[in-house]
Amino acid sequence: MLRAKKMNVDYSKDLGSDTEELKTGIIIENLSVRFPDKNGGDPVEALQNINLEIKPGEFVSLVGPSGCGKTTLLRTIADLQQPTTGTISIGGLTPREIRLQQKFGIVFQNPVLYEWRTVRRNVCMPMEIMGIPKPERTRRVTQMLELVGLYNFGKMHPHELSGGMQQRVGIARALALRPKILLMDEPFSALDEFTKEKLHLDLQRIWSKTKKTIIFVTHSIQEAVFLSDKVVVLSPHPGRISAVVDINLPRPRGLEIKDTMEFNSLVSKVRNSFEGV
Amino acid sequence: MNRVKKVLSSKQIVTLVWVIGLIIVWEIGATVIAQTKRTPEYVLPHISQIVDSVFSDKLVNGSQTATQIVLSNAALTLVRAGIGFIIGSIIGFILALLMNMFLPVEKIAFPYLMMIQMIPILGMAPIILAITKDIDKSRIVIAAILTFYPVATNTLAGFKAVEKAKHELMYSIAAKKKDIYKKLLIPASLPYFFTGLKISAPMAITASILVDTLQGGGGLGCMLSQSLKHAMSIYVFWQIVFFSAIIGILSFYLMSVIEKLVSPYKKVRR
Repeated sequence: MLRAKKMNVDYSKDLGSDTEELKTGIIIENLSVRFPDKNGGDPVEALQNINLEIKPGEFVSLVGPSGCGKTTLLRTIADLQQPTTGTISIGGLTPREIRLQQKFGIVFQNPVLYEWRTVRRNVCMPMEIMGIPKPERTRRVTQMLELVGLYNFGKMHPHELSGGMQQRVGIARALALRPKILLMDEPFSALDEFTKEKLHLDLQRIWSKTKKTIIFVTHSIQEAVFLSDKVVVLSPHPGRISAVVDINLPRPRGLEIKDTMEFNSLVSKVRNSFEGV
Repeated sequence: MNRVKKVLSSKQIVTLVWVIGLIIVWEIGATVIAQTKRTPEYVLPHISQIVDSVFSDKLVNGSQTATQIVLSNAALTLVRAGIGFIIGSIIGFILALLMNMFLPVEKIAFPYLMMIQMIPILGMAPIILAITKDIDKSRIVIAAILTFYPVATNTLAGFKAVEKAKHELMYSIAAKKKDIYKKLLIPASLPYFFTGLKISAPMAITASILVDTLQGGGGLGCMLSQSLKHAMSIYVFWQIVFFSAIIGILSFYLMSVIEKLVSPYKKVRR
């Protein structure tokens, strides 16, 4: 009885819905990022003339081979990297303003957990900084750990968990903030195929419940097509957008969708969009 | 066969082998010297003779046994070493914080801190004594001077070893400097801080004993030089040698115990 009740909890309200005050659509115009060359040569053009529009609540993947600037693009949106030219507008505000309003949730490539804190206290940490009162923090930590299936591991330390579990702690930590925008930088790249597929389904479920804007960086075409509304294909040297592929597969998507014709033709379409690889 | 190997390579066995080895070498030396010198206990007495002297109730300076002398003077030395050690640790930690917060402080202070470290303690001690004009204060100051540098450098290294991604997480949620120190840098550098403490704890004790020798008036070092000068039983000397060594080692382990109490998480080997 109790269990059934738990399963039916509606997280959408608690996770913060995006129809609130802030419109979280992202508009990127003429964005370029250049890095100075270490040996004093010409600067490296990491991103060249990027124009992209992301609608509120959209799940967008950035795919491309290494060196195509997909992580740089994500970092620029997150205000971890400054653009050389061009602008990014998030609901009319700059990335810096959004960051200072603490509206970003970032999931890093390796989970970046604080190894001296337990799982619960790791998830709790950003909320402590945001000054959220303790009862509320405790409530949200419990909720998020249930959501990512780690409720029974709250008292453990990160090194006692597997890589997949650590990554889920990172996701729980990012979601606990109720961010308007969730930025994910190759979050599943180090995981085995089974864990990865499970987390794909989890992430889809979380997204459909919370309707956050999610930007997801990956080098796996399959992953991008499976998860996204829109796949942005980037090509390297210099990093640029070579195609934007809309994914109109029905949702919710099960793993069996990977065997369908539509899925595979979209994968081929994305693969054929790469330039100069 | 494998089990024998396993037992032999365990940590306790290695320690035991070392201790037995040392005792054998010591006893061989003592036996050889006993045959050549008239007063062998000044050079190298048998270990049994030293142990005997610990439990002997013979008064060696008119009112106290050798063990009583050692223990009463040890209190004097160790309390001063302890006070200096605590002061030095606090100064070292604050210095590390300042050097990490303000680059100019690091650039200006670091070379001079290193220079203070390079002055031999034997040269520094009389100067400190001349300045403070008090043996107690000198003990504290010298112990503090020896302590703060390992603590400061190790803690600073701990601050700097924090991965960029951990800083970026803090940046992405617009954490204030105060929070970055409280929630990230200080907890992350604790193992480094304790490494500093483990290095400097035995040093503070050594320094305090050394300062004792400068002036009569008690302390382990003072008794050490008096017993060498035939003012009392030579066994006071040998007892102090062993006692100091044991206390030095214990001070190291004490720091490990405190570390485990303060940061109970198991450190991940990477």
